[in-house]
Amino acid sequence: MSVNNRDPLVVGGVIGDVLERFTRSIDLRVTYGQREVTNGLDIRPSQILNKPRVEIGGEDLRNFYTLVMVDPDVPSPSNPHLREYLHWLVTDIPATTGTNFGNEIVSYENPRPTSGIHRIVLVLFRQLGRQTVYEPGWRPQFNTREFAALYNLGLPAAAVYFNCQRDNGCGGRRC
Amino acid sequence: MATATPTDSMSRVWSMSSLKSSLPSAVTCRLPSPSSRRPVLVSSPSPRLPSFSGLSPVNPLISTGLPGWQSFEDGFKIIDGGGRVYAMRHGRRVPKLNRPPDQRKALLRGLTTQLLKHGRIKTTRARASAMRKFVDKMITLAKDGSLHKRRQALGYIYEKQIVHALFAEVPDRYGERNGGYTRIIRTLPRRGDNAPMAYIELV
Repeated sequence: MSVNNRDPLVVGGVIGDVLERFTRSIDLRVTYGQREVTNGLDIRPSQILNKPRVEIGGEDLRNFYTLVMVDPDVPSPSNPHLREYLHWLVTDIPATTGTNFGNEIVSYENPRPTSGIHRIVLVLFRQLGRQTVYEPGWRPQFNTREFAALYNLGLPAAAVYFNCQRDNGCGGRRC
Repeated sequence: MATATPTDSMSRVWSMSSLKSSLPSAVTCRLPSPSSRRPVLVSSPSPRLPSFSGLSPVNPLISTGLPGWQSFEDGFKIIDGGGRVYAMRHGRRVPKLNRPPDQRKALLRGLTTQLLKHGRIKTTRARASAMRKFVDKMITLAKDGSLHKRRQALGYIYEKQIVHALFAEVPDRYGERNGGYTRIIRTLPRRGDNAPMAYIELV
Protein backbone atom coordinates (compact mmCIF):
# COMPACT_ATOMS: atom_id res chain seq x y z
CA MET A 1 0.00 0.00 0.00
CA SER A 2 1.36 3.39 -0.89
CA VAL A 3 2.03 6.19 1.55
CA ASN A 4 -0.38 9.06 0.98
CA ASN A 5 -0.20 12.50 2.51
CA ARG A 6 -2.53 11.60 5.30
CA ASP A 7 -0.39 8.77 6.53
CA PRO A 8 0.41 9.34 10.21
CA LEU A 9 4.14 9.16 9.57
CA VAL A 10 3.90 12.01 7.08
CA VAL A 11 1.52 14.04 9.21
CA GLY A 12 3.71 13.61 12.27
CA GLY A 13 6.76 14.74 10.35
CA VAL A 14 8.67 11.49 10.81
CA ILE A 15 8.97 11.14 7.04
CA GLY A 16 11.00 14.23 6.39
CA ASP A 17 12.83 14.59 9.68
CA VAL A 18 14.04 11.04 10.11
CA LEU A 19 13.11 8.90 7.13
CA GLU A 20 12.45 9.09 3.43
CA ARG A 21 9.15 8.13 1.91
CA PHE A 22 8.88 4.40 1.79
CA THR A 23 6.34 1.69 1.17
CA ARG A 24 5.62 -0.49 4.12
CA SER A 25 6.57 -4.05 3.30
CA ILE A 26 6.30 -5.91 6.58
CA ASP A 27 4.24 -5.88 9.75
CA LEU A 28 5.69 -4.37 12.87
CA ARG A 29 4.05 -4.68 16.27
CA VAL A 30 5.56 -2.91 19.27
CA THR A 31 4.06 -3.51 22.69
CA TYR A 32 4.98 -1.87 25.98
CA GLY A 33 3.43 -4.04 28.64
CA GLN A 34 -0.18 -4.25 27.62
CA ARG A 35 -0.26 -1.23 25.33
CA GLU A 36 0.36 -1.61 21.66
CA VAL A 37 2.13 1.33 20.13
CA THR A 38 0.20 3.05 17.38
CA ASN A 39 1.40 6.15 15.56
CA GLY A 40 1.19 9.25 17.69
CA LEU A 41 0.31 7.45 20.91
CA ASP A 42 1.07 9.31 24.14
CA ILE A 43 3.30 7.37 26.52
CA ARG A 44 5.04 8.47 29.70
CA PRO A 45 8.63 7.56 30.54
CA SER A 46 7.46 5.51 33.51
CA GLN A 47 5.70 3.16 31.11
CA ILE A 48 8.69 2.63 28.89
CA LEU A 49 11.36 1.82 31.42
CA ASN A 50 11.86 -1.64 29.98
CA LYS A 51 12.32 -2.61 26.40
CA PRO A 52 9.17 -3.33 24.45
CA ARG A 53 8.11 -6.56 22.88
CA VAL A 54 8.63 -6.25 19.16
CA GLU A 55 7.14 -8.73 16.70
CA ILE A 56 7.75 -8.52 13.01
CA GLY A 57 5.92 -10.19 10.18
CA GLY A 58 7.22 -11.57 6.95
CA GLU A 59 7.45 -15.22 6.01
CA ASP A 60 11.01 -16.29 5.46
CA LEU A 61 13.22 -16.90 8.47
CA ARG A 62 16.24 -16.36 6.30
CA ASN A 63 15.53 -12.64 5.92
CA PHE A 64 17.13 -10.53 8.62
CA TYR A 65 16.03 -7.17 9.86
CA THR A 66 17.48 -4.34 11.88
CA LEU A 67 15.46 -2.32 14.37
CA VAL A 68 16.49 1.23 15.20
CA MET A 69 14.90 3.35 17.92
CA VAL A 70 15.70 7.05 17.81
CA ASP A 71 14.49 10.28 19.30
CA PRO A 72 14.70 13.11 16.76
CA ASP A 73 13.72 15.85 19.20
CA VAL A 74 16.67 15.98 21.56
CA PRO A 75 17.16 17.98 23.68
CA SER A 76 13.94 19.82 22.90
CA PRO A 77 11.61 19.89 19.88
CA SER A 78 12.12 23.63 19.53
CA ASN A 79 15.88 23.22 19.40
CA PRO A 80 16.85 19.73 18.29
CA HIS A 81 20.57 20.32 17.87
CA LEU A 82 21.44 16.83 19.10
CA ARG A 83 19.14 15.16 16.60
CA GLU A 84 18.82 12.18 16.74
CA TYR A 85 19.48 10.20 19.90
CA LEU A 86 19.91 6.48 19.45
CA HIS A 87 18.04 4.53 22.12
CA TRP A 88 18.18 0.96 20.86
CA LEU A 89 19.71 -0.95 17.99
CA VAL A 90 18.99 -4.63 17.35
CA THR A 91 20.27 -6.44 14.29
CA ASP A 92 19.91 -9.88 12.72
CA ILE A 93 16.27 -10.28 13.65
CA PRO A 94 14.83 -13.15 11.59
CA ALA A 95 11.47 -12.47 9.95
CA THR A 96 8.35 -13.64 11.82
CA THR A 97 10.20 -13.40 15.15
CA GLY A 98 11.02 -10.60 17.54
CA THR A 99 13.90 -8.69 19.03
CA ASN A 100 14.60 -11.48 21.50
CA PHE A 101 16.03 -13.44 18.59
CA GLY A 102 18.19 -10.62 17.36
CA ASN A 103 21.56 -9.25 18.28
CA GLU A 104 21.22 -6.20 20.53
CA ILE A 105 24.30 -4.18 19.70
CA VAL A 106 23.19 -0.94 21.37
CA SER A 107 21.35 -1.70 24.57
CA TYR A 108 17.96 -0.25 25.33
CA GLU A 109 18.01 3.08 27.10
CA ASN A 110 14.64 4.33 28.17
CA PRO A 111 13.80 7.80 26.91
CA ARG A 112 13.67 10.52 29.55
CA PRO A 113 12.72 13.76 27.85
CA THR A 114 13.27 16.84 29.96
CA SER A 115 11.71 19.49 27.78
CA GLY A 116 8.74 19.39 25.44
CA ILE A 117 7.03 16.49 23.74
CA HIS A 118 9.43 14.18 21.93
CA ARG A 119 8.66 11.77 19.14
CA ILE A 120 10.28 8.37 19.49
CA VAL A 121 10.56 6.51 16.20
CA LEU A 122 11.08 2.78 15.72
CA VAL A 123 12.28 1.87 12.25
CA LEU A 124 12.75 -1.54 10.75
CA PHE A 125 15.27 -2.07 7.95
CA ARG A 126 15.88 -5.18 5.94
CA GLN A 127 19.44 -6.43 5.98
CA LEU A 128 21.14 -7.85 2.93
CA GLY A 129 22.83 -10.57 4.92
CA ARG A 130 23.73 -11.63 8.43
CA GLN A 131 26.09 -9.66 10.65
CA THR A 132 26.62 -6.83 8.22
CA VAL A 133 25.67 -4.04 10.64
CA TYR A 134 27.93 -2.60 13.33
CA GLU A 135 27.31 -0.24 16.17
CA PRO A 136 27.98 3.48 15.86
CA GLY A 137 30.45 5.12 18.20
CA TRP A 138 27.98 7.19 20.22
CA ARG A 139 24.29 7.74 20.78
CA PRO A 140 23.56 11.43 20.11
CA GLN A 141 23.93 13.02 16.66
CA PHE A 142 22.84 9.78 15.09
CA ASN A 143 21.59 10.01 11.53
CA THR A 144 19.26 7.26 10.43
CA ARG A 145 19.59 8.09 6.74
CA GLU A 146 23.37 7.92 6.83
CA PHE A 147 23.28 4.77 8.89
CA ALA A 148 21.04 3.10 6.31
CA ALA A 149 23.23 4.28 3.46
CA LEU A 150 26.38 3.12 5.22
CA TYR A 151 25.19 -0.45 5.67
CA ASN A 152 23.16 -0.64 2.47
CA LEU A 153 19.91 -1.08 4.31
CA GLY A 154 17.95 0.91 1.75
CA LEU A 155 14.53 2.28 2.46
CA PRO A 156 12.78 1.29 5.68
CA ALA A 157 10.54 -1.75 5.72
CA ALA A 158 8.28 -0.45 8.47
CA ALA A 159 8.15 2.37 10.98
CA VAL A 160 6.08 3.50 13.92
CA TYR A 161 6.39 6.44 16.27
CA PHE A 162 4.94 7.60 19.57
CA ASN A 163 5.04 10.75 21.69
CA CYS A 164 6.75 10.96 25.04
CA GLN A 165 7.05 13.74 27.59
CA ARG A 166 8.09 14.14 31.20
CA ASP A 167 6.15 12.27 33.86
CA ASN A 168 5.34 15.29 35.97
CA GLY A 169 4.68 17.60 33.07
CA CYS A 170 1.24 19.03 32.53
CA GLY A 171 0.57 16.65 29.68
CA GLY A 172 1.89 19.26 27.29
CA ARG A 173 -1.44 20.93 27.77
CA ARG A 174 -1.32 24.66 27.40
CA CYS A 175 -4.90 25.64 27.79
CA MET B 1 -12.67 11.43 3.65
CA ALA B 2 -15.79 10.10 5.25
CA THR B 3 -16.34 7.26 2.83
CA ALA B 4 -15.36 3.88 4.08
CA THR B 5 -13.62 1.78 1.54
CA PRO B 6 -12.46 -1.70 2.31
CA THR B 7 -8.75 -2.28 2.09
CA ASP B 8 -7.54 -5.07 -0.13
CA SER B 9 -6.81 -7.46 2.68
CA MET B 10 -10.24 -6.96 4.22
CA SER B 11 -12.25 -7.77 1.12
CA ARG B 12 -10.43 -11.01 0.75
CA VAL B 13 -11.46 -12.18 4.18
CA TRP B 14 -14.96 -10.77 4.05
CA SER B 15 -17.50 -13.48 3.41
CA MET B 16 -21.24 -13.68 2.95
CA SER B 17 -21.87 -15.23 6.31
CA SER B 18 -20.33 -12.40 8.29
CA LEU B 19 -22.18 -9.90 6.14
CA LYS B 20 -25.53 -11.63 6.49
CA SER B 21 -25.19 -11.97 10.21
CA SER B 22 -24.77 -8.23 10.61
CA LEU B 23 -27.74 -7.29 8.46
CA PRO B 24 -31.26 -6.83 9.81
CA SER B 25 -33.52 -9.78 9.14
CA ALA B 26 -35.81 -7.90 6.74
CA VAL B 27 -33.06 -7.73 4.18
CA THR B 28 -31.67 -11.23 4.46
CA CYS B 29 -34.78 -12.67 2.86
CA ARG B 30 -33.80 -10.87 -0.33
CA LEU B 31 -30.57 -12.77 -0.55
CA PRO B 32 -30.43 -16.13 -2.28
CA SER B 33 -30.46 -19.22 -0.08
CA PRO B 34 -27.04 -20.66 0.72
CA SER B 35 -27.64 -23.79 -1.31
CA SER B 36 -28.15 -21.89 -4.53
CA ARG B 37 -25.34 -19.41 -3.94
CA ARG B 38 -22.68 -19.51 -6.58
CA PRO B 39 -19.09 -19.55 -5.31
CA VAL B 40 -18.11 -16.45 -7.27
CA LEU B 41 -20.35 -14.28 -5.13
CA VAL B 42 -18.56 -15.07 -1.91
CA SER B 43 -15.85 -12.53 -2.49
CA SER B 44 -17.98 -9.65 -3.79
CA PRO B 45 -21.24 -9.12 -1.93
CA SER B 46 -21.85 -5.68 -3.44
CA PRO B 47 -23.82 -6.83 -6.56
CA ARG B 48 -26.32 -8.53 -4.26
CA LEU B 49 -26.92 -5.54 -2.02
CA PRO B 50 -27.29 -2.39 -4.07
CA SER B 51 -28.96 -0.47 -1.27
CA PHE B 52 -26.45 -1.14 1.46
CA SER B 53 -23.50 1.07 0.66
CA GLY B 54 -23.62 2.49 4.15
CA LEU B 55 -22.43 -0.63 5.90
CA SER B 56 -18.98 0.29 7.00
CA PRO B 57 -16.45 -2.50 6.67
CA VAL B 58 -14.01 -0.54 8.76
CA ASN B 59 -16.30 -0.57 11.76
CA PRO B 60 -14.36 -2.40 14.44
CA LEU B 61 -17.57 -3.69 16.01
CA ILE B 62 -18.11 -5.97 13.05
CA SER B 63 -15.48 -8.54 13.78
CA THR B 64 -13.85 -9.86 10.69
CA GLY B 65 -11.06 -11.27 12.78
CA LEU B 66 -8.34 -9.09 11.32
CA PRO B 67 -5.51 -8.18 13.64
CA GLY B 68 -3.50 -5.67 11.80
CA TRP B 69 -4.51 -2.09 12.42
CA GLN B 70 -1.43 -0.30 11.28
CA SER B 71 -2.19 2.77 13.24
CA PHE B 72 -4.89 4.26 15.32
CA GLU B 73 -6.23 6.24 12.43
CA ASP B 74 -6.81 3.14 10.32
CA GLY B 75 -9.26 1.71 12.77
CA PHE B 76 -11.45 4.63 13.67
CA LYS B 77 -12.91 7.09 11.28
CA ILE B 78 -11.88 10.44 12.30
CA ILE B 79 -11.86 11.83 15.73
CA ASP B 80 -14.54 14.43 15.30
CA GLY B 81 -14.96 17.56 17.35
CA GLY B 82 -17.66 18.24 19.85
CA GLY B 83 -19.94 21.20 19.36
CA ARG B 84 -22.02 22.25 16.44
CA VAL B 85 -20.21 21.73 13.21
CA TYR B 86 -21.47 23.44 10.12
CA ALA B 87 -20.24 23.06 6.62
CA MET B 88 -19.73 26.78 6.07
CA ARG B 89 -17.73 29.58 7.65
CA HIS B 90 -19.76 32.49 6.32
CA GLY B 91 -19.00 35.78 8.10
CA ARG B 92 -16.72 34.31 10.75
CA ARG B 93 -13.72 36.58 10.87
CA VAL B 94 -12.00 35.97 14.14
CA PRO B 95 -11.98 32.89 16.40
CA LYS B 96 -13.38 34.05 19.70
CA LEU B 97 -12.38 31.07 21.83
CA ASN B 98 -15.28 31.73 24.24
CA ARG B 99 -13.46 34.59 25.90
CA PRO B 100 -13.63 38.36 26.06
CA PRO B 101 -11.05 40.15 23.92
CA ASP B 102 -8.50 40.89 26.63
CA GLN B 103 -8.47 37.31 27.86
CA ARG B 104 -8.33 36.02 24.33
CA LYS B 105 -5.27 38.08 23.58
CA ALA B 106 -3.60 36.93 26.77
CA LEU B 107 -4.40 33.31 26.03
CA LEU B 108 -2.92 33.52 22.57
CA ARG B 109 0.16 35.30 23.83
CA GLY B 110 0.67 32.62 26.42
CA LEU B 111 0.18 29.82 23.92
CA THR B 112 2.61 31.25 21.39
CA THR B 113 5.17 31.84 24.12
CA GLN B 114 4.90 28.21 25.20
CA LEU B 115 5.05 26.89 21.68
CA LEU B 116 8.17 28.88 20.90
CA LYS B 117 9.66 27.68 24.15
CA HIS B 118 8.87 23.97 23.92
CA GLY B 119 8.55 23.37 20.21
CA ARG B 120 5.53 21.15 20.51
CA ILE B 121 2.48 21.51 22.72
CA LYS B 122 -0.83 19.81 23.08
CA THR B 123 -3.94 21.89 23.27
CA THR B 124 -7.50 21.99 21.98
CA ARG B 125 -8.04 22.10 18.25
CA ALA B 126 -9.72 25.47 18.24
CA ARG B 127 -6.87 27.05 20.14
CA ALA B 128 -4.25 25.39 18.01
CA SER B 129 -5.78 26.62 14.78
CA ALA B 130 -6.32 30.09 16.27
CA MET B 131 -2.73 30.49 17.33
CA ARG B 132 -1.17 29.61 13.98
CA LYS B 133 -1.52 33.15 12.77
CA PHE B 134 0.31 34.60 15.74
CA VAL B 135 3.11 32.08 15.72
CA ASP B 136 3.71 32.78 12.06
CA LYS B 137 3.67 36.46 12.81
CA MET B 138 6.34 36.10 15.47
CA ILE B 139 8.54 34.07 13.18
CA THR B 140 8.13 36.63 10.44
CA LEU B 141 9.20 39.36 12.84
CA ALA B 142 12.25 37.32 13.70
CA LYS B 143 13.06 36.79 10.05
CA ASP B 144 13.20 40.52 9.57
CA GLY B 145 15.55 40.86 12.52
CA SER B 146 15.68 44.62 12.94
CA LEU B 147 15.55 46.36 16.30
CA HIS B 148 12.04 47.65 15.76
CA LYS B 149 10.77 44.17 15.01
CA ARG B 150 12.60 42.81 18.01
CA ARG B 151 10.87 45.30 20.24
CA GLN B 152 7.53 44.45 18.71
CA ALA B 153 8.18 40.79 19.47
CA LEU B 154 9.22 41.65 23.00
CA GLY B 155 5.88 43.36 23.43
CA TYR B 156 4.00 40.23 22.52
CA ILE B 157 5.94 37.32 23.94
CA TYR B 158 6.03 37.00 27.67
CA GLU B 159 9.62 35.86 28.12
CA LYS B 160 12.42 37.87 26.64
CA GLN B 161 14.93 35.00 26.50
CA ILE B 162 12.62 33.29 24.07
CA VAL B 163 12.56 36.35 21.84
CA HIS B 164 16.32 36.56 21.79
CA ALA B 165 16.68 32.85 21.10
CA LEU B 166 14.08 33.13 18.37
CA PHE B 167 15.82 36.01 16.64
CA ALA B 168 19.07 34.09 16.81
CA GLU B 169 17.93 30.83 15.27
CA VAL B 170 15.09 31.69 12.90
CA PRO B 171 17.25 32.81 9.94
CA ASP B 172 18.97 29.44 9.88
CA ARG B 173 15.94 27.36 10.51
CA TYR B 174 13.28 29.09 8.45
CA GLY B 175 15.38 31.09 6.02
CA GLU B 176 14.10 29.29 2.97
CA ARG B 177 10.62 28.45 4.10
CA ASN B 178 7.92 30.90 3.13
CA GLY B 179 5.15 30.72 5.64
CA GLY B 180 3.60 27.65 7.18
CA TYR B 181 5.90 27.41 10.11
CA THR B 182 3.59 25.24 12.17
CA ARG B 183 1.96 21.89 11.82
CA ILE B 184 -1.18 20.68 13.56
CA ILE B 185 -1.79 17.02 14.26
CA ARG B 186 -5.18 16.04 15.58
CA THR B 187 -5.25 13.53 18.37
CA LEU B 188 -7.50 11.83 20.85
CA PRO B 189 -10.09 13.86 22.74
CA ARG B 190 -9.41 14.91 26.30
CA ARG B 191 -10.80 12.57 28.90
CA GLY B 192 -12.49 15.10 31.20
CA ASP B 193 -14.71 16.86 28.71
CA ASN B 194 -14.15 15.09 25.40
CA ALA B 195 -12.65 18.22 23.93
CA PRO B 196 -10.93 17.55 20.63
CA MET B 197 -7.20 17.92 21.12
CA ALA B 198 -4.31 18.57 18.78
CA TYR B 199 -0.58 18.81 18.84
CA ILE B 200 0.81 21.95 17.35
CA GLU B 201 4.48 22.02 16.55
CA LEU B 202 7.02 24.17 14.82
CA VAL B 203 7.85 22.70 11.50
